[in-house]
Amino acid sequence: MSTQQSIKIENLVKEFGKGDSLLRVIDGASFTVNKGELIALIAPSGAGKTTLLMMIGCVINPTSGTIWLGDEKVYEDKWITHNSRKIRREKIGFIFQAHYLIPFLNVIENVTLVPQTNGVSEKQAKADAMKLLEYLDIADKAYSKPSALSGGQNQRVAIARALANNPQIILADEPTAALDSARALSVIQMLKKIATEQNVAIIMVTHDERMVQRCDKIMKIENKKIVFETVDVPS
Amino acid sequence: MINLAQKDISHTFGKFVVTAMGVGMLLGIVLIMIGVYRGLIVDATILVHDVSADIWVVQEDTLGPFAEASRIHEDLKNTLKTTQGIDKAEAMTFQNIQLYTNNKPLRVTAVGYDPFGEINPINAEHLIEGRTLKQSHYEVVVSSETGLKLNEKINLGRNQYTVVGITKKTVASSGDPLIYLSLKDAQEVQFSFSNATIRNDKARGNAQQSDLHLVNAIVCSVKKGYNIALVANDISQWKHLSTFTQDEQEEILIKNVVEKSSKQIGLFTVILVIVSTIIIGLIIYTMTLEKIKEISIMKLIGIPDSIIIKMIVQETVLLGFFAFVFGNIFSYFTYDKFPKRVILEVPDALMLFGVILVASVIASFVGVGKVVHADPTVAIGG
Repeated sequence: MSTQQSIKIENLVKEFGKGDSLLRVIDGASFTVNKGELIALIAPSGAGKTTLLMMIGCVINPTSGTIWLGDEKVYEDKWITHNSRKIRREKIGFIFQAHYLIPFLNVIENVTLVPQTNGVSEKQAKADAMKLLEYLDIADKAYSKPSALSGGQNQRVAIARALANNPQIILADEPTAALDSARALSVIQMLKKIATEQNVAIIMVTHDERMVQRCDKIMKIENKKIVFETVDVPS
Repeated sequence: MINLAQKDISHTFGKFVVTAMGVGMLLGIVLIMIGVYRGLIVDATILVHDVSADIWVVQEDTLGPFAEASRIHEDLKNTLKTTQGIDKAEAMTFQNIQLYTNNKPLRVTAVGYDPFGEINPINAEHLIEGRTLKQSHYEVVVSSETGLKLNEKINLGRNQYTVVGITKKTVASSGDPLIYLSLKDAQEVQFSFSNATIRNDKARGNAQQSDLHLVNAIVCSVKKGYNIALVANDISQWKHLSTFTQDEQEEILIKNVVEKSSKQIGLFTVILVIVSTIIIGLIIYTMTLEKIKEISIMKLIGIPDSIIIKMIVQETVLLGFFAFVFGNIFSYFTYDKFPKRVILEVPDALMLFGVILVASVIASFVGVGKVVHADPTVAIGG
């Protein structure tokens, strides 16, 4: 695997059901995503966007194929790793449509939960989290509960949480869907900045054409296959 | 590392406290039930302890005077006094009576003893007001449980008696408060026939006299250097009487008189502990279900099951601990409101604490089961 490749997928297949009700959602997907790239994943509803994202994120089992995350082959017709959760918390950051923060933890605790689980000391994790929160311009809310924050603020905290474990990959499932245009644009700019500055590969599911234009590539699911398109940057 | 249980509890502290108080009241009832059992044992033996005899002499082949009826002649005490090894011997009567005070019925157990004798069943430590009996007639010492006051007059049989002393919480094995009469008065109350009965018996040609010189037991103390069991054995062998040592009499009371009651209470207590465990389990199950989305998120972002399970188990154990604390507070403030004696003992509370800790861990398994089977994709609605 190339040192620039962050995600490499070969002949990935996902089927649901069996017999007559067998449904193949992803049929032989093969692609690579390089470090520092922000990829827009677009497809009609039910086409398998989230399924693809969750397979890359080691959350759901593919039917067959191969998945490389960084320089580690994690799946080849079966999980090679016995601890997919360890891979998730060490290599992957997740951002969702809703922020999905833990409501009984404050902002800094939400951000430091994964690093502390990875063995980073509380002091170090908090210092790193404060830097991230400052980077995302939300440090003043470090000790607030998610319930006291606006939707945009919570989404920035969710981004901070996704970045807190220094991931190689960020998987974002419609991260701007619940935000107004201005905040959505701000989040996309932030993700682009993160991809570039922190050399992180980001795959972002989105339906919003304006957001797509900010991405490096467009990945589409057409007839259960993956196709790439270049981004038309508006003049 | 962040203590997730502490964070979750402080997030919903009011709900947690109210839940712990609810379970705590249940545990408080468990503690009180254990206290009722302890009280039953103390109540059953308090009279025997206060009499503090070495040997109880009763009617042959009976378990008298408490577990079975016993009648023996009063003058047997004189014979017993001359028996080798016997130091003191006094006759006593024990009888259940229903009094009426302020037109309300009051069940009591009357103890008759010789106020001028050598064995006094009134323990000086329990006498909280007045004095013991000093006359052969018409005086009575009563337990505080009767609600009677010093110098109050009560009607008993054909006579009126004056309360000259009050003892604290002295009751019979039945839980009825004790009253103490002179032996002569007690014999009259227990053995004399009513005028109507005497007239009726005369008309039937069966004009027998009341035998007022019967008693229910003779209590003896043994001289130093004599083996109590051997002396008791001699009396039962040669005098055709049944004898029991103090320990045997206590055993009879506990085994024969209060055994079923204590078993009933014991079973009720075990059921309450099981119910408490089930309730804690259900509460933890509900609390886990309420957090299932957060648990799914944690699983999705890579938090290991061990950390999430630790949170559930800690919350359950903390719930059990706080419930135990509330249970103790609840039982402490309510135990003396119960009509019968309730004895709260630290070892019982510690034992319950251990049981609740184990029960909490068992109860947490239902929550842990939910955690293990929680689907991370639930977090994203997948």
